[in-house]
Amino acid sequence: MFSPESALDKNMKVLVVDDFSTMRRIVKNLLRDLGFTNISEADDGSTALPMLKEGSFDFVVTDWNMPGMQGIDLLKAIRADANLSHIPVLLITAEAKKEQIVMAAQAGVNGYIVKPFTAATLNAKLDKIFERLG
Amino acid sequence: MSVDTGGHVSLEEAKLLVEYLETGQQEKADELIEEIQNPINSELFAEIGKLTRQLHDSLNNFQLDSRLNDLATADIPDAQERLNYVITRTEEAANKTMDAVESIFPVVDTIQKQIKAVNPLWQKLMHNKLDLPEFKSLCIDIDILLKTTDKESVRMHDLMTDVLMAQDFQDLTGQVIRKVIDLVREVEDSLIGMLTAFGLSSEGSSEPSKPKVGDNLVEGPIVNATQRDDVVADQDDVDDLLSSLGF
Repeated sequence: MFSPESALDKNMKVLVVDDFSTMRRIVKNLLRDLGFTNISEADDGSTALPMLKEGSFDFVVTDWNMPGMQGIDLLKAIRADANLSHIPVLLITAEAKKEQIVMAAQAGVNGYIVKPFTAATLNAKLDKIFERLG
Repeated sequence: MSVDTGGHVSLEEAKLLVEYLETGQQEKADELIEEIQNPINSELFAEIGKLTRQLHDSLNNFQLDSRLNDLATADIPDAQERLNYVITRTEEAANKTMDAVESIFPVVDTIQKQIKAVNPLWQKLMHNKLDLPEFKSLCIDIDILLKTTDKESVRMHDLMTDVLMAQDFQDLTGQVIRKVIDLVREVEDSLIGMLTAFGLSSEGSSEPSKPKVGDNLVEGPIVNATQRDDVVADQDDVDDLLSSLGF
């Protein structure tokens, strides 16, 4: 499941946003296994947004359904902020309505993973996202 | 009881009245007269009797539904506690499992690194190209590898036993959830019983209810994806949908 050939900068600053600490831990472990070392955590959008504004994050992985600010609203806020709009956002969520996936696409999401997911899926989506961004 | 309508005296009643008078049963004769004059009374009494029975039954039902009171004051708070227990236990299990796995990852990485270190000289040995100093170095590396593997495999075994034991939540949470399901069913039955006691039908609303959604249509995990056409079934569906949108 390693992708050592990928030209990805593994030192990039990643923010993992999920209200469940266990899910954050799973995502962090998977990212670490893929070589990412610089990972921070937030438990919902309203915690994540100030962190993004202060720190120079390169990538956001977020859940959708969280108390406080939802992931989709975080995505919209990122795209609406000129300083943040370039940051790629990957949604990992149990939300599975077609309408919602369309909503996320229109809001400018870079990848959409539906839970439950596998390490291979995460790996494939990351490769795709950063391949696109060059 | 007379079934006469409207106070008309029938031939039978007249004969009966004469008989009462002739045999000196004045009281009975008076009663009969009264009955003939007010046939409505007996119907009224019958109706009141019926209502009284209904009221009595309803009150009995209400006594049965004192169970509803217990449900609301004791069982449902208890169910909340039970479900919180499920959250706690599953979270504990997830963390215990991840503790063990996170301890195993570096061990496996170490062994893998040592194998990689040994491999070049080992290949030389296999092809008879190893000189003596290299052989000594290889022996030292293999010695380290054997000791590490021996020690760490015991540790990994213990950690994997931890992973195994962390799965015991399933049995416990399964039992708790089953009890809560029974409780929900009992509440449902009681509520239907109450609707029936009030003469309201619980039928008619039997069409499947739409799932409740929050802001941005959030609904949480879809438990009946195969019965729905507004949701994706898996990641392939997501990818197909996104690529149809030009993703």
